[in-house]
Amino acid sequence: MSDYGSTPPPPPPPPPGGGGTPPPPPPPSYGGPGVPAGAPGTPPDNYLVWAILSTILCCPPLGIPSIVFSTQVNSKWALGDVAGAQAASAKAKKFAIWAVIGWAVFVVLYVIALIVGIGSLNFSTGTNSGF
Amino acid sequence: MHVLLRSAPTALTGGRRALLQPLGVAATALIGTGYVAAVDPSAAGHYPTCPFLAITGWYCPGCGALRAVHALAHGDVVTALARNPFAVVVLGYVVIAWVLWLDRTARGRPARWLAPPWVLYGVLGVILAFWVLRNVPGWTWLSPA
Repeated sequence: MSDYGSTPPPPPPPPPGGGGTPPPPPPPSYGGPGVPAGAPGTPPDNYLVWAILSTILCCPPLGIPSIVFSTQVNSKWALGDVAGAQAASAKAKKFAIWAVIGWAVFVVLYVIALIVGIGSLNFSTGTNSGF
Repeated sequence: MHVLLRSAPTALTGGRRALLQPLGVAATALIGTGYVAAVDPSAAGHYPTCPFLAITGWYCPGCGALRAVHALAHGDVVTALARNPFAVVVLGYVVIAWVLWLDRTARGRPARWLAPPWVLYGVLGVILAFWVLRNVPGWTWLSPA
């Protein structure tokens, strides 16, 4: 009815043949009566903040694909490909986790190198950190 | 419109405990910022060299970010922009994203909106262009040097 508006942002229809997929979602802004808020109209997280942060602060080789998958979440959701958006979301999350792990491993290795005493050979010769 | 306030109880079940996540992230970020503010990244030996810079000799998109954070923590926006202008923009975005996250969590309402894909492709393009250009001679305003 009128509260659905004339031109809502494209609500994703269920993927063809997706068993057990909920009925077509309400407009993204709010759920209608009887439709629990946040059920089908909620897009999956695209983890964009993580992707950008891992690109800038940690590891571009992990961050760049992370941004690509984040983008896929948005583009597939906009096309109504719910399953594809969720798969891209899972991949973006995976890359974010790997970036955090990679960063932690790097820090731990650096601290070990400092303790062992080889850090001065590799890392501390420049005038600044580079970061 | 007011009806939807009653249609969100399922999302509210997280209650106050759900706020622990954004608040914990903020606390961790503040501790990290405090450390970078106290331990100067411009001085040699305080932090490891960026692995990409160490291996290739080129700046990565993040080079200068620690020094930018250090400068920002000391209120020196000009120096921060000189070290890594993109990192300054990203930090602004991160703060806004955090506030929106906190707001969504406090209201118990999940995100309902995704940016159009071209925005994200644009972000990716800006990062890649930034990565290349800051290594180009004459574009020192983008390089951390």
